[in-house]
Amino acid sequence: MDLFTGGHVGCRGCGAAIAARQAMEALGPRTIIVIPASCMATIGGSGLRTAWRIPFYHSLFECAPAVASGIRAALEVQGIREVNVVSWAGDAGTADIGFQSLTGAAERNEDIIHVCYDNESYMNTGGQAGGTTPFGAWTSDTPSGKPTRQKDMLAIMAAHRPPYLATASIAYPKDFIDKLKRAKEIKGFRYIHVLAPCHRGWGIKEEETVEMARLAVECGLWELYEIRAGEKRLTVVPERKVPVQEYLRRQQRFRTLSEEDLAFFQAKAST
Amino acid sequence: MRQLLNGNEATAIAARLARVEVLASYPITPAAPAMEQIVRFISEGKLKAKFIRVESDHSALAAAVGAALAGARPLVVTNSQGLAYMSEVLYHASGLRLPIVMAVVNRGLAAPHTRFPDHGDAIAQEGSGWIQLFCENNQEVLDTLLQAYRLAEDERVRLPVMVHYESYIQSHTREVVEVPAPETVDKFLPLHRRPALDVDNPQAVNVVTGPDLYMDYKYRQDKALQDSQEVLCEVDTAYAELTGRSWGGTLGVYRLDGAEHIFVTMGSLASTCREVVDMLREDGLPVGLLKVRCFRPFPGEKVRSLLKGARTVTVLDKNIVYGSGGALAREVRASLYGPGPEGPFVYSYIAGLGGRDVTSEDVVRIYQMVEEKVKGNQEPLPYEWYGIE
Amino acid sequence: MAKDLPVVPSAPPGTMALKPVAAAWRERHPQIIEGRCNACGECLYFCPEGALKLKETEKGKELEINLDFCKGCGICAHECQRQALRMVAEYTGPQGLLG
Repeated sequence: MDLFTGGHVGCRGCGAAIAARQAMEALGPRTIIVIPASCMATIGGSGLRTAWRIPFYHSLFECAPAVASGIRAALEVQGIREVNVVSWAGDAGTADIGFQSLTGAAERNEDIIHVCYDNESYMNTGGQAGGTTPFGAWTSDTPSGKPTRQKDMLAIMAAHRPPYLATASIAYPKDFIDKLKRAKEIKGFRYIHVLAPCHRGWGIKEEETVEMARLAVECGLWELYEIRAGEKRLTVVPERKVPVQEYLRRQQRFRTLSEEDLAFFQAKAST
Repeated sequence: MRQLLNGNEATAIAARLARVEVLASYPITPAAPAMEQIVRFISEGKLKAKFIRVESDHSALAAAVGAALAGARPLVVTNSQGLAYMSEVLYHASGLRLPIVMAVVNRGLAAPHTRFPDHGDAIAQEGSGWIQLFCENNQEVLDTLLQAYRLAEDERVRLPVMVHYESYIQSHTREVVEVPAPETVDKFLPLHRRPALDVDNPQAVNVVTGPDLYMDYKYRQDKALQDSQEVLCEVDTAYAELTGRSWGGTLGVYRLDGAEHIFVTMGSLASTCREVVDMLREDGLPVGLLKVRCFRPFPGEKVRSLLKGARTVTVLDKNIVYGSGGALAREVRASLYGPGPEGPFVYSYIAGLGGRDVTSEDVVRIYQMVEEKVKGNQEPLPYEWYGIE
Repeated sequence: MAKDLPVVPSAPPGTMALKPVAAAWRERHPQIIEGRCNACGECLYFCPEGALKLKETEKGKELEINLDFCKGCGICAHECQRQALRMVAEYTGPQGLLG
């Protein structure tokens, strides 16, 4: 885990840092990580110092998977093997501004792992709405709640038929780590989408970051599964199930949801 | 070996001779055939390289950045809209000091849409920190691409290089090109790997910098760019020793001895102007040509010393910086500012945009117009458009 | 003279851990409640800062808190199933003008 060390300048209770530290446990030192513009691109480095202990490149916003493709090609021509090449992007660098290079790399079946750490908003620029921001969520540029639905990135990425695709949540570290370990053993494009709440964007207390990532699973709005060779398998069946309002009503960003809206989310939740 | 090659074929052969390891390109007219030819070399086993079939020009250069960071020798081929789309990545490549070489088949930028040549795409990136070399024929394209790798990878330089040639006039026009033997090129171009991303020697690249460091990084980058002029001259000399061909390093001079009226231009217009210089010299007129091969860094001091004794300088620009004029004329004037009032007047013409042909008759006509102005003691306008009725 | 900098703008590995600055943001920190922690190590996965470690002692594994890294978010205390950690305020006396 200490391949991303303490001493970084992420906010107190940063869900993104938790995701990165958990992932490092699985990925290990023979990993090159490319992170486009995002909190994670900036909190681990300042001036001549960094919290990374693996090769890291803070890339431009749109193109982490393309950079990763170039790195893999360079390693191949030099005969350098057994290296995980990872593009690690936020929801913007994955689903929105970064989507073009992501879909390209997925279609080419590049031998890289793309991890989307999703906090469902553009937190590095102060919390604006993006493609994965849920319907109804307050953000700094959707002051009346986001009027449109969340982009279904998992369906979009599954449509690329990658050799490996999985969801994860920082509240289930062993599940996340196991998935990365399985992904490491597979060649080709691997996509892992990890829910990593941001307490500032979600309007929760900083100590509730992990709890929210758990409630998302327990209420059925965030299912933990993997798809290998087209076969979907649930990897975590939560011990307890809760109605969606136990998850949504705890978050300030959903304070304006109506009963009708809650019913919409409840219908969306897996049972 | 002599071959009949168009500019794109010359690029492909240069890629093979340079033993390029990673090609990342997105098809665009008229650069695409160069990309396709290199991919054929790869599939036929004539070049051991990886082709990354990216989904966009932006990703093409991003992938080349990744390849260079991980220590490979990359090539990118593009032009016009593709280059404009890469703009943001250009600054990463230069700021990260990556030895990427890019062949740019200069084409006018839309709108309105055009597929034809001018240097507007290159000039739009003049501040990107890339070395920019302009070629006047396909021999120079091949030679310059080989020189570009040696220049880019030189420890004193470590900067990306654009090699410019013009759409159709060069990209699709065959000329006799002397192709050096692979052994000769191998001798000229040993590979120096300096991976910045290396699992055995980890470091974090492009971390956030504050005002304390950013400016120092930029100072060092600019200094490396300025210093690359001298390295380019060295590289050109070393190339000449092996192949017998020199392109003058940063500048090509033609019949400047006793020249009172000197043309300054870049790219294919240099060939046209050379013909005109010969024609006018036959008529006893004291004219000469200064060809700018290296536009970035701009060899201002040399340009000044070569031009300051002239009576008149006429600059032909195949580009327009809207609201300002021709980029080359602006550079020439800036470099001549030093000598004070005794320096020559610089007349600036915008010509040949979007593929409008500039023939030797046109250049003669420009010469005559300038001479009339000189006789009439007419000071030059900031710039004029040639060929607009 | 320009500063002596790497050619490729970069930083050597792990150097932020040497002089951590953000722990100064801390307003509270976790304290182990005597006898409750069984050193399961679950909290290590949830600490964003790498401030928690299991160290080997004569009595077996023991949880160790590194306050150089801890920013005091309280996730560890909130997540601990045995409620073996409590968050205590960083400062005892009044803060502000006279602080």
